[in-house]
Amino acid sequence: MTGDGGGAGVNQRAYRTAVISFVVAIVGGITAAVGYWTDNTGDLLGLGLAAALVGIGVGLVCWEKFLDLDDHVVQQREPLRLTPQAERELEDEVRTSENVLGRRPLLVGLLGGSFLSMVIGFVGPIGSLGPKPRGERGRTSWSPGARLVTTSGEPIAAEGATYDQLVTVFPEGHIGVDDSQVVLLRMPPDVLTRRTLDGGALDGWVAYSKICSHAGCSVGLFGIDTRQPDTLRQLVCPCHQSIFDPADGARPTGGPAPRSLPQLALGVDDQGFLVAVADFDRPVGPLAWNET
Amino acid sequence: MSAGPGPADPARPASEDSDSVPGPEVAPESSQNRTSAASAGGRQHRGVVERYVGAVTGRVGAESFVGKVLHKVFPSHFSFLWGELALYSFMVLLITGTYLTLFFEGSQQTLIYDGSYRPLRGVEVSAAYDSVLRISFDVKGGLLIRQMHHWAALVFVGAIALHMARIFFTGAFRRPRELNWVVGLILLLLALAAGFTGYSLPDDLLSGTGLRITQAIILAIPFVGERLTYLIFGGEWPGTDIIGRLYPVHILLIPGLIIVMLSVHLALVWRQKHTQFSGPGRSERNVIGLRVWPGFAIKSVGLLFVTAGVITAMGALFHVNAIWLYGPYSTAAATSYSQPDWYIGFLEGSLRLFPPWEIRAFGHTINNLVFSAMLIPGVIFAGLFLVPWIERRLSGDDRDHHVLDRPRDAPHRTAAGAAAITFVAVLFLGGSQDVIAGTLDVSIGHVTTVLQIAALVGPPVAYVIALRMCRTLAGRGGPDRTERAGGITRDPAGGYHSTFEGDVDDVEDELVAEEGEVAVETALVDSPGTGRTS
Repeated sequence: MTGDGGGAGVNQRAYRTAVISFVVAIVGGITAAVGYWTDNTGDLLGLGLAAALVGIGVGLVCWEKFLDLDDHVVQQREPLRLTPQAERELEDEVRTSENVLGRRPLLVGLLGGSFLSMVIGFVGPIGSLGPKPRGERGRTSWSPGARLVTTSGEPIAAEGATYDQLVTVFPEGHIGVDDSQVVLLRMPPDVLTRRTLDGGALDGWVAYSKICSHAGCSVGLFGIDTRQPDTLRQLVCPCHQSIFDPADGARPTGGPAPRSLPQLALGVDDQGFLVAVADFDRPVGPLAWNET
Repeated sequence: MSAGPGPADPARPASEDSDSVPGPEVAPESSQNRTSAASAGGRQHRGVVERYVGAVTGRVGAESFVGKVLHKVFPSHFSFLWGELALYSFMVLLITGTYLTLFFEGSQQTLIYDGSYRPLRGVEVSAAYDSVLRISFDVKGGLLIRQMHHWAALVFVGAIALHMARIFFTGAFRRPRELNWVVGLILLLLALAAGFTGYSLPDDLLSGTGLRITQAIILAIPFVGERLTYLIFGGEWPGTDIIGRLYPVHILLIPGLIIVMLSVHLALVWRQKHTQFSGPGRSERNVIGLRVWPGFAIKSVGLLFVTAGVITAMGALFHVNAIWLYGPYSTAAATSYSQPDWYIGFLEGSLRLFPPWEIRAFGHTINNLVFSAMLIPGVIFAGLFLVPWIERRLSGDDRDHHVLDRPRDAPHRTAAGAAAITFVAVLFLGGSQDVIAGTLDVSIGHVTTVLQIAALVGPPVAYVIALRMCRTLAGRGGPDRTERAGGITRDPAGGYHSTFEGDVDDVEDELVAEEGEVAVETALVDSPGTGRTS
């Protein structure tokens, strides 16, 4: 059982390695069982199984090396191309079947037609996978007078908030509705541009749809850079790094987003909480083919 | 036994007497090695193995089928292993995946998590997310299997990519193997689809974000996009159907298609026989290598176990897709440093690097995603599918090829491949441009600009560099010996003969005489590299 007659040193080494590998494999399997038994599933189980598998694999390869089965043999390829005669025969056969089947053009036409109608018949069940779009994308849950509330349901008082903090808000009663997510920010009123004020900014408050106009991720990052004389404020989408300028109507200033984020016009209700004046005036998020 | 270090050593197999390997029947040329006891008494008392072999061959045909299977010849070269590696990681995927289906819940029903991972207790999560947490924390050994599954998927696609690169750079896609190139690409697409659907199933924040982007891409498809998203997601994003729908696609539809295409892929390899690098005695009309049984089969099964073992070790040692850290998917949440699995990186990069172009006119929009998520990957894959036909058009070479080029022997093909890889690599880097910027502490915008320029300038530069390298290398001799040469030849009558090194030139001459064109080409390909033929 020692393979002592092996002769060449390579074979001896291969034999020894195979022996060691199989022993490692056996130990690995037992280790895995112990690992499972003792709740060490993180390391003992996994590493034991790995040792068992690698041991078997290396053992087999070394065994093969030891037996020195690496003899190369030559095998002739069979030609893959047909001989001209065989090709002619095949063509004849095809032509014959064409003639046989094509002799009844009415049947051929009807068969084609019946396949087509069968396919049409199966379109119905596929349509059941989802409803027809009925303009849901054109509107969100925002309505005139809807309060802005945080994800925990608290309304936002128009007075007394600190500047430059991002809050995610939803219309009251519609928390978590995807297309109604909005980023709310308060900035010093003097930094806002004309178009931002026209779009419905209120006393430094601005609200934009939180759905990136590029690929629909949530624009969840607000960055402020005060190193330069002109403080730089940015809304950033974490997915593809689109950058929007919240002081200028959420105009895209970098990255792949092609359009600004729709702005939500803000007002204040009689209790001093922020409300929406109206729904967005255009679809939120990335556009479908028939939207602009 | 000419090539082995210990030629025809009668004493060696002393330890093999008890072996039940049916050596004498299927490997007659080595019988003098392994007989002693076995053949002395073997004929009278047929052992168990012999009887089973007899039972099989008596039914499917000894010479015609089993003999052919066992005698099939495979050339050996390390680069031929990538395809096997892909196959074996797919096996690991099937086994670990089956285990996971026993616990996974493909549903978006919400419930309050109360498992053993404390930080998420009391959080409202989907049943899918809950079941993946259960697999990770409450099923003993479940995390290991889950991480093995994920690592195996990463290895699977990687092995396919390497395999494809090998096929491309050696010209193995040429006639008569164009069809198998296409089948292989379909397998790559299926692997990507399997990876993406599987990645989406746990319904965590990262995968939910990925699905959100996918929805936006589908929405952007001209004419049918909106209707299509409603069909796929069962209405407006996010709906409550998508996880339950991706589940059967991931565990039944795509694996089924992979198995079908894999069968076609392997059947074609079998029928057309493997390609081989040029070398002594090798020609377009033969194939030199190991026979399936026993050498190739034992090594290949060994590779299967090593692959599975390494994947198991990865699953045990390295966390992957720790969804409990990402949290469940929730509307209005997103996180920075959100990268997909590596094989989607090129698409992520395309989305990040493409300029903010969008065409809006006449009440219609050609969305930015039409360019970055459809046009660019479309061009990449259309180019890949057309590779055999593009090369044929450019080279005018319509002959059968069974002998492989070394990359340097086809400089323009190699340069084109280098350019394509450079482009995809830049896109891949673009998919992590925020991580790069964070690591180097520079602005993301600058990294993006640099990568945008690199995507345009890099490929032509890579083309020129690769072309020059090929030309330089072509004039240089290769190593004396890259693989074992010669060995045993089988003559038409079935006898086996040793091919000594001295025969090599004769073999070549004979081929030149017999098949002028093809053999001359072989010799041309051959001469610069293998010092031995000159």
